[in-house]
Amino acid sequence: MSRGPQVGVYVCHCGGNISDVVDVEKVAAELAKHPDVKVEKSYAFMCSDPGQQLIIEDIRSEGIDRVVVAACSPALHEQTFRSALQRAGLNPYLYENVNIREQVSWVHKGNHESATAKAIRLTRAGVEKVSRQDPLEAIRVNAEPRVCVIGAGVAGMRAALAAAKRGLPVTLIDKADRVGGHLLELDVVYPTGEKAADLIDELEHEIAGEDRIELLLDADVEGVDGYVGSFTVQVAARGEGADRREIKAGALIVATGFSHYEPHAGEFGYGQDVVPEVLTLPQFNSLLRGDAGDYLRVGGRDVRNVALIHCVGSRQTPGVHEPQPDGKVNDYCSRVCCTAAFHTVNRLLDRFPAVQVYEVYKDVRTYGRGHDELYEQASKKGVLFFRYDDEGLPVVVDGKLRVRDWLTWGEEVEIPVDLVVLVTGMMPGDASKLIGSMKLPAGADRFLQEVHPKLRPVELANNGVMIAGTAQGPMDVLESCAAAEAAAGKAAILLSRGSIELDPFVARVRAEECDGCEKCLGECEYKDALTMRTRPEGGPKLAVVNAALCVGCGACVAVCPTRAIDLAGWSLDQFDAMVDALVAEVV
Amino acid sequence: MTCDALVVGAGIAGLQASLDLADQGKRVLLVERQPSIGGHMINLSKVFPTLDCASCITTPRMASVAHHPNIEMRTYTEVDRIEPVGDRFRARITQKPRFVDEGLCIGCKRCEEECVIYVPDEYDHALGCKKAISIPFTNAIPQLPVLDMDMCLLCGACAKACPTDAIDFRQQPITEEVEVGAVIVTTGYETTPMDAKKQYGGGVLPNVISPFQAERLLAPHGPYGGVMRPSDGKIPSSVAFVQCAGSRDASLGVPYCSRVCCMYAIKQAMLMSGSLPVADITIYYMDIRAFGKGYEQFYQNAKAMGIEFVKAKVAKISEDEEHGVKVRIERQDDGCRPEEVTHDLVVLSLGMVPAWVPSRDGIVPLEEETDRFLKTRSILTPSLTSMRGVFAAGTATGPKDIVDTIVEASAAALEVANYLESQLAGAAR
Repeated sequence: MSRGPQVGVYVCHCGGNISDVVDVEKVAAELAKHPDVKVEKSYAFMCSDPGQQLIIEDIRSEGIDRVVVAACSPALHEQTFRSALQRAGLNPYLYENVNIREQVSWVHKGNHESATAKAIRLTRAGVEKVSRQDPLEAIRVNAEPRVCVIGAGVAGMRAALAAAKRGLPVTLIDKADRVGGHLLELDVVYPTGEKAADLIDELEHEIAGEDRIELLLDADVEGVDGYVGSFTVQVAARGEGADRREIKAGALIVATGFSHYEPHAGEFGYGQDVVPEVLTLPQFNSLLRGDAGDYLRVGGRDVRNVALIHCVGSRQTPGVHEPQPDGKVNDYCSRVCCTAAFHTVNRLLDRFPAVQVYEVYKDVRTYGRGHDELYEQASKKGVLFFRYDDEGLPVVVDGKLRVRDWLTWGEEVEIPVDLVVLVTGMMPGDASKLIGSMKLPAGADRFLQEVHPKLRPVELANNGVMIAGTAQGPMDVLESCAAAEAAAGKAAILLSRGSIELDPFVARVRAEECDGCEKCLGECEYKDALTMRTRPEGGPKLAVVNAALCVGCGACVAVCPTRAIDLAGWSLDQFDAMVDALVAEVV
Repeated sequence: MTCDALVVGAGIAGLQASLDLADQGKRVLLVERQPSIGGHMINLSKVFPTLDCASCITTPRMASVAHHPNIEMRTYTEVDRIEPVGDRFRARITQKPRFVDEGLCIGCKRCEEECVIYVPDEYDHALGCKKAISIPFTNAIPQLPVLDMDMCLLCGACAKACPTDAIDFRQQPITEEVEVGAVIVTTGYETTPMDAKKQYGGGVLPNVISPFQAERLLAPHGPYGGVMRPSDGKIPSSVAFVQCAGSRDASLGVPYCSRVCCMYAIKQAMLMSGSLPVADITIYYMDIRAFGKGYEQFYQNAKAMGIEFVKAKVAKISEDEEHGVKVRIERQDDGCRPEEVTHDLVVLSLGMVPAWVPSRDGIVPLEEETDRFLKTRSILTPSLTSMRGVFAAGTATGPKDIVDTIVEASAAALEVANYLESQLAGAAR
């Protein structure tokens, strides 16, 4: 008689995150009664090295052939424990993660007894599932050794160069007719005072000298097909006789950048033919770049008093600020504008020391190296500061700016101004075609959303797609360059092995059960993931899964009238057994 | 020993840089002066703005490093000197004695159980105690105890209890020479000292604690199993955070912003409000610098939770006869009047200073910026230091948060990989 499954169950305390609420010893003891459970243990941190070592030892010496860890969300540690199984010589997919932290201890703090009962049910279901689990093999796909970088601003250029130097062929695409992106708008950059044009020249020169980089300017990315290791990027040239081409790439780096916030008509007097003149910071910067002579003149008038209003288009509050067309306000901080404003003001006062500058702000966020120095310089040059909040927004009218100032305990202040500069924030650049064709995730702030905001900052949930620079959120040149190099590094790691491993949890068809009804085809949302083929031996058509394109959503499984389709690792039999375990009595 | 890259410091920057380099096929030697890898991050309760449990997200990185075939680890080891030799570097490193034989120890903790001497627990920032011989903390890597020889009575109880005879009272430092192609400095930060600002109690008031101590009070596996004030174990009904207690203050020699203190204070305030639902929680600040992705929203959530933000620079901190903490402020938002407010517990939001100055003692002559953190070469290449072949990432080049550190570490790994390739190509020509 062959022996049944030999399951090891490990219940994690997670310091006290779990064990303060769930009686972990009781969970282990209850699971010990299950006929398939051979070993049961609880431990302070299962994810720690000694925790993993417990599992490895039991596989080696106790003959455990399947493992259940009842701990936190699988998003955190599934990989950790799979690799522990692998190190012990066991198929890594003979593992089930039961989440008794996010799903139990964190949400049932007040009720220890029922939390413990729930943990027991969930863990039993995990045992039932893993007992019916087949050993699986990761899906291996070939990796096209090319990186496609979309957007040739400073982040895109830096990413392209970094990847090319790493030995990877690169296609760098931009819709504009030259590289540089928003850096082209600047004269000098903070905090180093380097000429923006010099920085662009340096990068452009390096790109020109790098024969692994193909640069496509005046080109639009129309859409992307395929999957990690094998993307097809459709590119359309702009202008007359526009030709289209397809670029095959193993990895993508999205560097589509930002756009400046455009104030609404009338927002702080913007876009209205009134005194004072109201400009945005980028507009004012380009005005300063021109030769303005001995006096600062705007709109034909000498300017003696300039007020800068901070946080225009940033840190907005619903109900106070006018929303964007999607109904949402920009509730985020744009990070760079405080320092950018002081940088501009210092340059303005160096040239026109007689001008009086007023800064109307919420918080001064000059956080980086050399940023606070710019703030201090501005103070020393006689800039006056006023602090506002959302209850007393500044009002620009009749040559005056009125604001309730919290630096003078809420006094209403009236400032005579000839010019108001709106320190505008950042909004994401146009990545709508990528977001549409690849279902790229965007956050509530509309910027592209990384996999994990803390630990995996330059990768998207879409396998093989990296982000660099302000497509992800506001950042400055230095931060964009760091992100770009990090993204190139992730692409290099991905493509360096020639092939890529994917999770095996995809649909599989039992050919003998499939009657060719094509119901599954009607449900499948993923292009080319499921196709019908003629059987060489004759008979009904057969549904065939492209494992690299299938995402394992299970829509096909649900509609198959003959139970011919199953998800590997998530079979209907497993679900049946799990449901039985979940509804069974606890003790 | 020969390696492609030497990574100095195994905090989150060093861990990430090592992993990314090793994943690109480079052989890495990772050196850490503490007995465990993990840096400050493993010591935190939760991280902003996701409120992920720090242990839970740091341990997998630590374990990946420990198991990576391309990474060699040396813990409890100091770097004595790094000198260029041709296109490569020779480094001298010294492993400090743990008084435990690494090859024999099985991490069973019997020595720890038998030891009779209690010493302050550094992992809990002296809020709790541990044995004079102990594994640094539950999820430490490696799982090797360290014997505190200054406190040891040499009673021999640990040696008697050890099943593998691993205790070695005569263990000596071991010095090793290694040859590497490149170096990454990820030596991180330490906080400004608690006693730096005399007006803030000079580091002797029991209920004025450091942000690291606050982290341990808030950690689920912390020393008291909850938030209590150190002087008498009272559950605080009023907690205050004093911002810029070690930053933006020229009198401390720290004129710069430490970038993380606003956010960690807001996070700690939120966690305090979870642990102490009826307590009043106040943050005294100059500017709230919630500039990172999702940080402003986090700040607004904290305000909505009822945490009170008061724009006021704290002038003086003293205590009453019950060790209540008296905070003297000038309220800017309410008539600009001076006021003295008493809190049960006060957290000083300390700033960051470099943990290691490589040029000191001539270890390796890297240039520093005026802020004493390492100088980097250009805003286009943030990981290049003043010396060719030496790179840096994370808080070694200035204060920054975990996510910015991780990005820089990955960027540095890429730069190093490219540098090593160019060296190879140069050698081939």
